[in-house]
Amino acid sequence: MQPAINDDKRMILVCCGTGCLANGSMEVYRALQEQLATTEVQVETYTKSTGCNGWCEKGPLVKIMPDDITYCRVTAKDIPEIAAKTLQNGELINRLLYRDPKTKQRVKSHHEIDFYKKQHKVALRNIGEIDPASIEDYIQRDGYKALGKVLEMTPLQVIDEIIKSGLRGRGGGGFPTGQKWKACAAVDASTRYIICNGDEGDPGAFMDRSIMEGDPHTVIEGMIICAHAIGASSGFIYVRDEYSLAVKNLGIAINDARTRGYLGPQILGSQLSFDIEIVRGGGAFVCGEETALMASIEGNVGEPRDKYIYPTEKGLWGQPTIINNVETWANVPVIMNGGAPAFAAIGTEGSKGTKVFSLVGKVINTGLVEVPMGTTLREIIYGIGGGIPGGRKFKAVQTGGPSGGCIPADMLDLQVDFDNLTKAGSMMGSGGLIVMDEHTCMVEIARYYVNFLAGESCGKCAPCREGLKAMLEILTGICKGEGSEADLDFLREIGETMQIASLCALGKTAPNPVLSTLNYFRDEYLSHINEHHCPAGVCRDLTRFYIDVEPCTGCGLCAKNCPMDAISGDRKEPHVIDQDKCIQCGECRNQCKFDAVKAR
Amino acid sequence: MKIRIDQQEIDVNPGETILEAARQNGINIPTLCYHEAFGGQGMCRMCMVEVKTAHSTNLVASCTYPINEVIEVHTSTPVIEKARRTIIALLYRTAPQSEFMKKLYQEYKCVENQLEINENERCILCRLCVRACEEIGSSAISAILRGTEKRISTPFDEASTVCIGCAACANICPTGAIELSQTPAGRTIWNRTFAVVTCQRCGQAFATREQLDYIAQHTGIKGSESKLCDDCRKKNLAAQIEQYAQ
Repeated sequence: MQPAINDDKRMILVCCGTGCLANGSMEVYRALQEQLATTEVQVETYTKSTGCNGWCEKGPLVKIMPDDITYCRVTAKDIPEIAAKTLQNGELINRLLYRDPKTKQRVKSHHEIDFYKKQHKVALRNIGEIDPASIEDYIQRDGYKALGKVLEMTPLQVIDEIIKSGLRGRGGGGFPTGQKWKACAAVDASTRYIICNGDEGDPGAFMDRSIMEGDPHTVIEGMIICAHAIGASSGFIYVRDEYSLAVKNLGIAINDARTRGYLGPQILGSQLSFDIEIVRGGGAFVCGEETALMASIEGNVGEPRDKYIYPTEKGLWGQPTIINNVETWANVPVIMNGGAPAFAAIGTEGSKGTKVFSLVGKVINTGLVEVPMGTTLREIIYGIGGGIPGGRKFKAVQTGGPSGGCIPADMLDLQVDFDNLTKAGSMMGSGGLIVMDEHTCMVEIARYYVNFLAGESCGKCAPCREGLKAMLEILTGICKGEGSEADLDFLREIGETMQIASLCALGKTAPNPVLSTLNYFRDEYLSHINEHHCPAGVCRDLTRFYIDVEPCTGCGLCAKNCPMDAISGDRKEPHVIDQDKCIQCGECRNQCKFDAVKAR
Repeated sequence: MKIRIDQQEIDVNPGETILEAARQNGINIPTLCYHEAFGGQGMCRMCMVEVKTAHSTNLVASCTYPINEVIEVHTSTPVIEKARRTIIALLYRTAPQSEFMKKLYQEYKCVENQLEINENERCILCRLCVRACEEIGSSAISAILRGTEKRISTPFDEASTVCIGCAACANICPTGAIELSQTPAGRTIWNRTFAVVTCQRCGQAFATREQLDYIAQHTGIKGSESKLCDDCRKKNLAAQIEQYAQ
C-alpha cells in the first residue's frame, strides 16, 4: 500500500519501462535499494519500480516525491550522491536535472517540461506513478472503482455509456467501440469471448507494450466491464511473445485480480463470472489483424479471413467475439468512472478522447506521448518532441506504422484524428509517428517498409503477396538508379489494386508508403530515375560524399568515425574523402558539426 | 430472396455466396482459387465484384460474400477489370511456363512490364492442391512460410509419411505446378516414390499401394474390385448390368 507521503517520508520512483531498462535502470533500482538498506537516511523512504514514463530519450528516470524532483539519465554511480544530498538534505543535484535547451535553465520537475505539460494522459494515467506489480497501487488510484459501479448498471446502460463516449478502436481501424459491443450483445448465442489485442508489431511502436507492462490492471478492468456488458465468461489477452515483461506483469495482475475476487466466479458477489487467459503470439506481424489473431488462438496458421461476417457475430471458435486493442481497453474504466460526457469533451467531432503516439525517428524528445485527438502534427513534433535534432529540416512524418503514409511539411498543421489522417493518404494505425528529416530518402523509406511488409504479409491473397513482391523489386531498382518513369505508373497500378482487392487491412494499407511518397515526393523518385541522384544522399549506388573545403575546420571527427579509413587530412586543414574506399555509409555527414560533408 | 446480378434478377437462398448464385444462373465470374467441391477461399481475389446494399457500395470477393440482404451486384466494372488485369500480370510472372496462365495473360491484355520472371515456377498459390489433400483426409501438404516466401510443401520439405501418392493435388492443379513422375518402377511425388499397382485387366498402372489401402480402410472397397483401374471397373460394372438385364 502506498503510504501517505509527508515531509519526513520520501517515495522514490525508478522508471523500469523497456527504454529505461535498456539504459540500465534495473542497476539503478538495485543500487538504490542497496544504498537505502546499508546507509542511514534521516527520512523514511519507499522505493518503487514503475512502468514507462514515456520520456525514453532521457532515461533512466528517477522521480522523488513529494518534492517532485525528476532526475534524468541516472546511473548507479549517482545513487550515493542522491541519497546523501537529496534524500538526506533535500538538496538538488543540478547536473541530473533536465536542462531546457531554449532557456538553458535546469528544471526541477518533469511536470514543468513542455514534453509533459502539453500531454493529456488518460490511457497512460497511471503509468510511471504506480508499481505495475501492485494491485494496491492501482486500487489507490481509483482502480476497479469503475467495475463496482458497472456491476450496479444493466448491460445495456454500460453499452450506452460507451456509445455516448464516442470511443473508437485504438488498434487502427477506428471502429466505434460501443457499436461493436452492442452488435455482439445482440447476437443470440450461449458463449461469447472477449479478446485483448496486444500483438503490437509496428516497428518503433510501444504504446500497448507500455500499458501492458506499466498498468496491466486497467486492461483487465476494461475487459471485465465488457464481460458484464455483453455477457461473456472468458477472455484472452494475446501478447507478442517478445514482450516478456508484459506477459509477466499481466500474469501477476491476473492472479492478484483473482485473489481479490475481480476475476473468477461471481465477481464481487454479482452474477458475473469471467476469467482471463494469456496467449503468447508466435511472432507474426499479421496476427495483429483480428481474424488472423483469432485463427492463431484457435491453434491454426495466423492468416486472416474475409470479414463479411464480423467477429461480433462469428469470431473465436465461431462464437460472437469482442476484440479490442490494449489502449481501447485502458480507456474503458476511465469512461465508466468519469462518465461519457467528460470523455467526449476531449478530442474532435469524429474522434473522441486522446491518442497515445510513439514518437520516434529524427526528433529530439523521442518517447511515448498522449495527446487529445485533434492535436496538430506540429504541436506533437515541435511542441512536445522539441523539433528536429542538429537544426536539420523536417521532411515528413510517417504515421500509423509500416503501412502508414508519409505526410509532408506543408501538412504539419493537420489535426491528427482518424478521419484526417485517412484523408491525407495515411492512417492512425496503432499510433506510430516516425519523424524524418532532410537526410531521409523517401524512395528508400518506401522500399524499407515494402520490404518489411513483404516479409510479414501472410502470403494468402494474391494482390498483397505478389503486389509487395513486385513493388519491392521496382523500388529496389529505383534506389539503384535502374528505374524508369513507366515504373511509377506501374507502382501506382499495383498499389491501387492492392488497396481494393487485398483480403485484409494489412494488404489494403500496405501500398500507403509507396502511394503517399509518390503523391508528395514524386520529385525525389524522378531524381533517382532521370538524374541517377539521391537528393537525400542515402541510396548508396547514387550517392558520393565530398567535403566542402569552406566550412571544413579540419577537426578530424569525420576521419575518426569513418569505418573504412577513407578520410584523410592534416589537423585544422580541410579533409578529403577517398572515393575508392568510401562505402557511402554517411557516418561522416552525421558526425560533422559544420555541415561540411555534402552528398551529390 | 431476389437480388440483381448484372441487371439480371435472380432467386437466391440466404447465406449462398454471390459466386454460387451467379454460376447457377449462368453468369460467369472469373476465379483461380475456387472449386465447387471446396467452396470459396477468398485468396486469388479475381472474383471481386461490386456490391450495392441499402447503405453502401463495396468491392467484395464474391466467393466468400454471403447474401443476406437484397443487393445489386456488378461483376465487371472498369475498376474491377483493371484489378483483375494487374493480378493476372503479377501472377503470370510466378508461373510463366503454365499454358493456363499464358492464356489468361493474353486474354486480359496485360501490359508488358520489366519485372523479373521466375522461369522455373508454375505455382500461383491457389491452394486447390492443399484443399484436395485435406478433403481426401491426408493433409500431407500445406502452404508453408510467410509473405513473399510462401510456397506449398510437405512439412520441412521432407518425404511425407501421410501422403498416399494419390496425386489428387497434381490432378487439380490448374497450372501443372506439381511434379509427378510415373514409371513402371513407381510414382514419385513430393519427394517420395510409391510402388504402383497395375490393373488386372488392362495392365495399366493406376494407383499406389498406399492409395488402395487407404480406400479399403475408409470405404470398405477391397478384394477384386480394388484391383481394376477406373475404366476397367466401369466396364466390369457395365458387363454385370448387362448380365442381369439378360
